[in-house]
Amino acid sequence: MDHAQFRLVIPSQTRYLNLVTGLAKRAALSAGMDDATAAKVSIAVDEAVTNVILHAYRGEGEHSVELELRFTETALEIHILHSGQGIRSDQMVLPDPKEYIKHPRKGGLGLLLMSRFMDEVQFKSDEASGRNECCLIKKIS
Amino acid sequence: MADLSITVRQAGEVAVLLPAGFINAHTVREFEVALEGIVDRGCYSILINCQDLNYISSAGLGAIMGLIETVREHAGDILLSNLQDNVFAIFDTLGFTQLYRVFTTEDEALAAVAPERKD
Repeated sequence: MDHAQFRLVIPSQTRYLNLVTGLAKRAALSAGMDDATAAKVSIAVDEAVTNVILHAYRGEGEHSVELELRFTETALEIHILHSGQGIRSDQMVLPDPKEYIKHPRKGGLGLLLMSRFMDEVQFKSDEASGRNECCLIKKIS
Repeated sequence: MADLSITVRQAGEVAVLLPAGFINAHTVREFEVALEGIVDRGCYSILINCQDLNYISSAGLGAIMGLIETVREHAGDILLSNLQDNVFAIFDTLGFTQLYRVFTTEDEALAAVAPERKD
C-alpha cells in the first residue's frame, strides 16, 4: 500500500465523535485489520478525541480538532492535533485496574483503554507553536 | 438514526435497561439519566441488556461505575447481558468482568437474580 495520508478537521464538539470513530474503524479495516481490532482502534480514537474536547479545550465547542490518518506498510497512525491544554507522555498516569475496581469512581479509564488497545500512545507538545498532539499507532500484523 | 435510544421495562423486581446505539461522551448523559431514574424510584436491581449496544466508551463505563456503590448499598446490583464482542472486550480489558456479573442472555440474568430475591 502507498503511504496514504488523510486529514479531517472537526469542531471541538462531542456530537462529531460518532463520525470520527466510524472513520477510524473504516481506516483500520482498510489497513487490513480484522473487525475486533478495528473496533479497538475506533474506541481508542474516541477516547483521545474526547480527552481533547473535554479536557484540553475544557468543553469549549468553538475550537478545532485535527485528525491525520497515515497508512504505512507496517502500521496505521492516527495523529490528533489541537491547540488546547497539552500533556506529555511522561505526564500520562495510567490507573491500576485492580485498584480501580476496589475503589470505583468516575473517570480515568480513557487513557487505560487507549494504551491497552493501541500498540503505542504518544503525547507531544510544541511550546513554540502551541500545538499539541496525541499519536495512536496500531501495527498491522 | 439517533446515536442512542434507551428503553426501560420492568421484569419483576428487576429494571431492564436496553440501550441501542452508541454510548460515548455525547450520549452518556442520556444513559446516566435513565440509570438514575431507575434508582430514584427505589429500584436497585438493574439489568443492562446490551444486545443493541454497538459501542461504549469510558464515559459510559463511568456512568455505571458512578452508581454501583449506591445500588449495592441497597442490596441490589447492576448486571450485564447480551454483550457484543467489542463491548465485552472493553469490559474485560479493564477487568470489569470481575466487578459485574455478565450473562449470555437476559433470561439467564433474571434467573440468577430470582433466587436471591426469594429470601
